[in-house]
Amino acid sequence: MKTNAKKLKRNLFIASFIIPTFLFFCVFTIYPVIQALQKSFYDWSGMSENSEFIGFDNFVEIFKDPIILRAIGNDYFLVVGKVIGIMILATFFAVALTRFKLRSAGFFRAIFFIPNVISVVVIGVLWNFIYNPQIGFLNAFLSLFTEKKVDITWLGFPQHTIWMLLPPTIWAGIGFYMILMIAAIVNIPASYYEAANIDGAGQWSQFRHITMPLIWEQIKVSVVNIVITTLNGSFVIVQLMTNGGQPDNTTQVMGSYLYRMAFQQYHFGYGAAIGVMILIVSLITTFILQRVMRQEAIEMS
Amino acid sequence: MNMKKWSTIGLATSMALVAAGCGKATPTETTKPAASVAPTAAASAAPTAAAAKKLSGDFEIQYFVGGYGDKWWKAVIADFQAANPDLKIKESAGPKINEQMKPRWIAGNPPDFVYIDGPELFDRQLVTDGQLDDLTDWLKDAKNVDGEKIMDLLAQKPQEFDGKMYNIPFVMSAWGIFYDKALFKDKGWAEPKDFEDFLAVSEKIKGAGINPFIHTGKYPYYINGGVLYPAIVSANNNDYKLLQDMSTNNLEAWKNPAIIKGLNKIVQMRDKGYIDKASVQINHTDSQSLFLQHKDAFIPNGLWLPNEMAKDVPGGFDFGFLPSITQDKGGKVVANTSTSTFAIPKKAKNKDAAKAFMQFVFSKKQASQWAELSGAPSNVKGDISSSKAPNFVKDAAKFLSSPDTVVVPTVSFAADVDKAMQDATLALTIGTITPEQWVTRVTEVVAKQKK
Repeated sequence: MKTNAKKLKRNLFIASFIIPTFLFFCVFTIYPVIQALQKSFYDWSGMSENSEFIGFDNFVEIFKDPIILRAIGNDYFLVVGKVIGIMILATFFAVALTRFKLRSAGFFRAIFFIPNVISVVVIGVLWNFIYNPQIGFLNAFLSLFTEKKVDITWLGFPQHTIWMLLPPTIWAGIGFYMILMIAAIVNIPASYYEAANIDGAGQWSQFRHITMPLIWEQIKVSVVNIVITTLNGSFVIVQLMTNGGQPDNTTQVMGSYLYRMAFQQYHFGYGAAIGVMILIVSLITTFILQRVMRQEAIEMS
Repeated sequence: MNMKKWSTIGLATSMALVAAGCGKATPTETTKPAASVAPTAAASAAPTAAAAKKLSGDFEIQYFVGGYGDKWWKAVIADFQAANPDLKIKESAGPKINEQMKPRWIAGNPPDFVYIDGPELFDRQLVTDGQLDDLTDWLKDAKNVDGEKIMDLLAQKPQEFDGKMYNIPFVMSAWGIFYDKALFKDKGWAEPKDFEDFLAVSEKIKGAGINPFIHTGKYPYYINGGVLYPAIVSANNNDYKLLQDMSTNNLEAWKNPAIIKGLNKIVQMRDKGYIDKASVQINHTDSQSLFLQHKDAFIPNGLWLPNEMAKDVPGGFDFGFLPSITQDKGGKVVANTSTSTFAIPKKAKNKDAAKAFMQFVFSKKQASQWAELSGAPSNVKGDISSSKAPNFVKDAAKFLSSPDTVVVPTVSFAADVDKAMQDATLALTIGTITPEQWVTRVTEVVAKQKK
């Protein structure tokens, strides 16, 4: 009897933590997802009280829409670019600031972390100024090395503008992942490196055989996080820097296309269907990524 | 006169001054208590239709605050409040108000009166969604507070949707091309009267190291409204019916060669290097700033531009306004108007007050006050030459009332078609598509709309 009462007390204690969190999660996460799913089966303008049930028509339309295909391509371009750019630079800076005992390491950590405390909106506006062809920093800087004033329209080339979105997003992401890497590296016992030194292993060898395998879990989590945040969060930077996909939809991503269809072209149901697509694409990508990286981890060990 | 009399006169004068002061001061709180505003002479003297029926209850007005500011709204609402002290007026206003009010429209709880302007509130969509009250019958006989028939006063009649009228244009702006008269005078450049002139002066401007033309590539509807549509009308022998047919998704209209001719004007400007390369990536504020800094000589815009940029206009800048620059030699000026309208939501709770307010605002007094306080002409006919409206507004009003001007009634395209045209025009300005491809692309979207 005493054991049962103790068990009940314990369960009530656990429930007092889980139930409010679960309810909160249901109301603010699960319910909107279900609502979006429901809206995706309707033809609804987003302003009307009336909507018409059209089954899977919105999803059929998505597969026929050439802009969606381009948007998915752009999303993956940003995912790959950001994963490569952020992970290489964040790891490089983390190693440099931990393994070489720099006196100014704290200063550099703070400097690299600053973009993470700035709002994405500010980052977008800031980089718009940097890229501005007439009054921007980039052209002014390049003009220092040329006789004629440089007037490159950085965000105006249909085929290349998507590349221009990588520097601001990578720049904004490095600091956070660098801190994660630093946390992982400082947890590696110093004796591992001492032993490697005694065995005559060089810095590169130590990085390859000690640092990388031991921070691999951290890298895995970081990559998955970058993929998810990019697929779901490129909208803001695209909206701010290229007004939702310009020029001529060449920088369109799924998030910005969702916004355009739902709020600018009054196809809310179609926008909801694009939202569901983003969810599906994110889940599939994350699943594949975790499988691939798990195999990689086994090979490394 | 004894001291007592002087004291009485002094006290009365002070009270009158205080009352006048109260009348001028526009209360800033969202909901106005009925008795807080003293009646102004004009408002109380008006033999209003509203006065015949005493208005009471809540009355909510939704208005977007953009380039025209909100000075006129504050003034007119204070006047209307004074004329209807029992009415509890609520202002739902601001630059984001359309977005903020959207959930209420969806839930069937809209305001009582709406000013359709700004993003996320589109008249055609509101009509399609059945959100607006059909004003056709009411408008047939509706008179303003001065007893004049509203329909007779309108310079531009309300747009009809399947033969019915749902919204009445009050703001009569026009798209066109701005330039700085002072700069042109200083450099000895002549104001262009046609496209040939425009190309000639642009060459001189380019020679002087200034970009001839800038637009906002992030919002290509500026170049569509200010250049392309007038060019299409000019190429169609000044007949604007083509634009109207295009807007109703008439596929035959989209085959008209005037569209290609119009697009070719933009191609000419592009190929001669007159379009500032920066245009493609900048927004309206940036393009307007560069124009004000004399880095660019011409900019397509609406009449709200000077008011919108008021804080940044350099001293000595003298706004010149041309409704169109794409007409051939001897051709008529084409003024593509841009109206912002007033409407009553179908589910408005106080329709009596909404209609009375409509009668109140469509008066010559309010129209003149609008021109002065917003810096744009209203849609109410009348001579504003003696008003305090800015010179470029008077110039524009002259153009709009001239027999040599083709005044194009506001045309609104379906949102998908409009967006397709914007994308295609931007692509045309940077040379990634041809005029023929422009037509093909947009026509595909039009065909889809028809289904």
